[in-house]
Amino acid sequence: MSQPRALDNIRVVDFSWVRAGPWATRWLGALGAEIIKIEWPETERGRLPSSTTPRHLETNLNTSGNFNDTNVNKKSLSLNVRTAKGLEIVKRLIAMSDIVIENFSSRVLQNWGLGYDELQRIKPDIVYVSMSGYGHTGRNHHYTTFGPVAQSVAGLTYLSGLPDQPPAGWGWSYMDDTGGMYGAMCALTGLYHRNMTGKGQHIDQSQMVSSVPLNGPALLDFTVNGRGSRRPGFPPGNRAHWPGTALVNNYRGPTVAPHNAYRTHPGGYNDWCVIVCHTDDEWQRLVQVMGSPPWANDSEFATMTARLQHQDELDANIETWTATLGKYEVTERCQTAGVRALPVQSAEDRVEHDPQLRHRNVYLPIEHPALGTYKVQNAPFKLSETPAYNHRSSPLIGQHNREIVEDLLGYSHDTLRTGFDDGTFWPVKRARFAYQEEMLQ
Amino acid sequence: MTGPLAGLRVLELADETGQFCGKLLGDLGADVVKIEPPGGEPSRHVGPFLDDIPDPDRSLSFWYYNTSKRGITLDLETADGQAVFRRLAETADVVLETFRPGFLASQGLDYASLRDSNHELVWCSLTPFGQTGPWRDYLSADLLHMAAGGEMASCGYDGSDVPIAPGGGNAWHMGCHFAYIAIMAALVYRTVSGHGQYIDASIHEACALTTESAVANYIYRGEVLRRQTGRHHAAAPTPRTQFRARDGNYVTALISGGLNPRNVRNLAALMDQYGMAGDLLDPKYQDPVVIAANASYIIDHLLAGFIAALPAEEVYHAGQERGFTWGAVRTPEALLDDAHLHDRGFWKQVEHPELGRSFVYPGEAAIYNGSPWAISRRAPLIGEHNVEILQGELGLPTGEIV
Repeated sequence: MSQPRALDNIRVVDFSWVRAGPWATRWLGALGAEIIKIEWPETERGRLPSSTTPRHLETNLNTSGNFNDTNVNKKSLSLNVRTAKGLEIVKRLIAMSDIVIENFSSRVLQNWGLGYDELQRIKPDIVYVSMSGYGHTGRNHHYTTFGPVAQSVAGLTYLSGLPDQPPAGWGWSYMDDTGGMYGAMCALTGLYHRNMTGKGQHIDQSQMVSSVPLNGPALLDFTVNGRGSRRPGFPPGNRAHWPGTALVNNYRGPTVAPHNAYRTHPGGYNDWCVIVCHTDDEWQRLVQVMGSPPWANDSEFATMTARLQHQDELDANIETWTATLGKYEVTERCQTAGVRALPVQSAEDRVEHDPQLRHRNVYLPIEHPALGTYKVQNAPFKLSETPAYNHRSSPLIGQHNREIVEDLLGYSHDTLRTGFDDGTFWPVKRARFAYQEEMLQ
Repeated sequence: MTGPLAGLRVLELADETGQFCGKLLGDLGADVVKIEPPGGEPSRHVGPFLDDIPDPDRSLSFWYYNTSKRGITLDLETADGQAVFRRLAETADVVLETFRPGFLASQGLDYASLRDSNHELVWCSLTPFGQTGPWRDYLSADLLHMAAGGEMASCGYDGSDVPIAPGGGNAWHMGCHFAYIAIMAALVYRTVSGHGQYIDASIHEACALTTESAVANYIYRGEVLRRQTGRHHAAAPTPRTQFRARDGNYVTALISGGLNPRNVRNLAALMDQYGMAGDLLDPKYQDPVVIAANASYIIDHLLAGFIAALPAEEVYHAGQERGFTWGAVRTPEALLDDAHLHDRGFWKQVEHPELGRSFVYPGEAAIYNGSPWAISRRAPLIGEHNVEILQGELGLPTGEIV
């Protein structure tokens, strides 16, 4: 494509692994930055173990489907940074780069001899983004996290569930996704600041700490009103309010009913539709969409206050209607009439059945040298002048060693070959992939 | 030192769906001018309220999501209001707007109408479904996005097929994080090219992109994942990881790497600190075959019993010190007592001069060592900066201020 991209000519040295860090750099790559992923097969976490390798393929370092989606738009340099030669090579790379990003525990880069002081010595205006579990300062900086633990410790888990039941929590690593968002946000903000002032900096992002501001209204309800979250009727599941408890706001917008998920035809595991009515007008429109059933005239549903008090009956009645229709049909009938409704969608629904995501090209195929051609997730924003798009599949491990070591860094082919023999670029005793043998010819 | 976005002028015309993006920009130093309709944004009517007294200047939700902004009121459906907006847009760096697709165009105030007078303008339209497509004009709500985005399909309880939406407001967070990324990318590009551009950002897409491996599990394996209590969705049931502690709080105690001999050894040592290792110190548990045969006993009996005998915070810290990636399930209010957050200077006092009081607000997701994050002011009162901005900056006569 001839169109420019927002981060053309920006180079990122990417030490990140597992999910949060790679999810950050994937977006910088989609925006046009050159992402050089530094990997070492013996300590790799992200490619293996894989539960997303297509069943017809052997599970190895190059066949994780989730790795592919998480690491599109990157090049891979296999390199042992914990050798003198590896360290020298990576320093030469950093000297030619704009951003260094990693999501190790708090002292790892420093222990490698790549703390911010050293990075700054190598490249004075470097933007260094560390994405650790707890940050580089504070007494618990050495603690470790993954999404579910950050979510628990920072209050997010508690806010998800039904009253008088254990937390349902988040069924995925929300804070690996969102930690990745903050990593990318920090990198871009640091880059903007550098371009405006000429100054780099160390930005110390923490997965656990980044979770806390996502509880803002609940926190202010406590710090301002003294109301804690440990209270009857909280959290109210899919409802804005749990009937029979004090009429307080539970941090999901206006306190209204109906506000719930309803079973739809044919009653399968993900056959649900959510409906929300913010006003009496919206409720009356829903009544019409449902065919004005007699029960809807009962006084106990006539006002917002009454509907909030009688949600159990209200929800049961609404469900007698939704259960007769498919979730997309409920959605369409409601939305056509100006009623807020959308289907509960599984991943399959989103990829195969969601007409909006299809229209917006969210899932487009990309060819990967070991996996074949599969759909990959695309950016949820369209930049008119510098579109973000996935321009290359995830790299095979060490796929770009020759390009980076020889063409970019200017080392000789001999250096590359020697580095494979002495364990700088690949463990001496580990079998090499065919493409590695090829690049050594 | 000032924030990294110092000097940047942002015009925010955003309801509850986009106000968080303005906060992200404002807390990092941008001069965010929030433009509200006369009478204020409807998001001012979302509770909870200060002392539970409903009032557009007392919404804690509005307070939280509108820090570091100044506020003016403008009627964009009048010629005067439109003229003022055009003048503001001439010198702004960013416009962030969340109107229904087509509204601003109908008023002659869309990007296409205004870019000629400001080629450097970065304009972000953040809407529930984007500017195009069959769902473009659909109505939304946080719960709706959690449904269609895939979040609810992943959250719930063992043995139940009811999907549960995780905590409120996160649809807007997801949309605003991506919108922020798009805006900053456009601003970085502008530092090089001198040109602004238009951004069409979709909250639905942002939510659909925030479900970790669920899409990959489907695309590469055809799997539909099942909901489980307090832990990851999965194609087949996985061992529980959420345990009730002595104080009634829960602990997330996933054994990273599974029950291998090393982890069992560490677990036995941890429990032995409290005299609760049971028979787990027996060397037979260093045999992977024996471990596998007793996995349920180790998790559901020994580990669950250990956690049930201690306060959640004790389990959390003792586990972490032993190298276990564990955490206590805290209520938000418990975070006020978290020593680590205090060490990082996380909590901020924010003055509310009109009340003669100050309140504690959550702070920064990341520490910018070279250009600090800060809440520069509490959320604006309705029209608080009309005179300052319209009269002081634009030089309008007082009569023209609504």
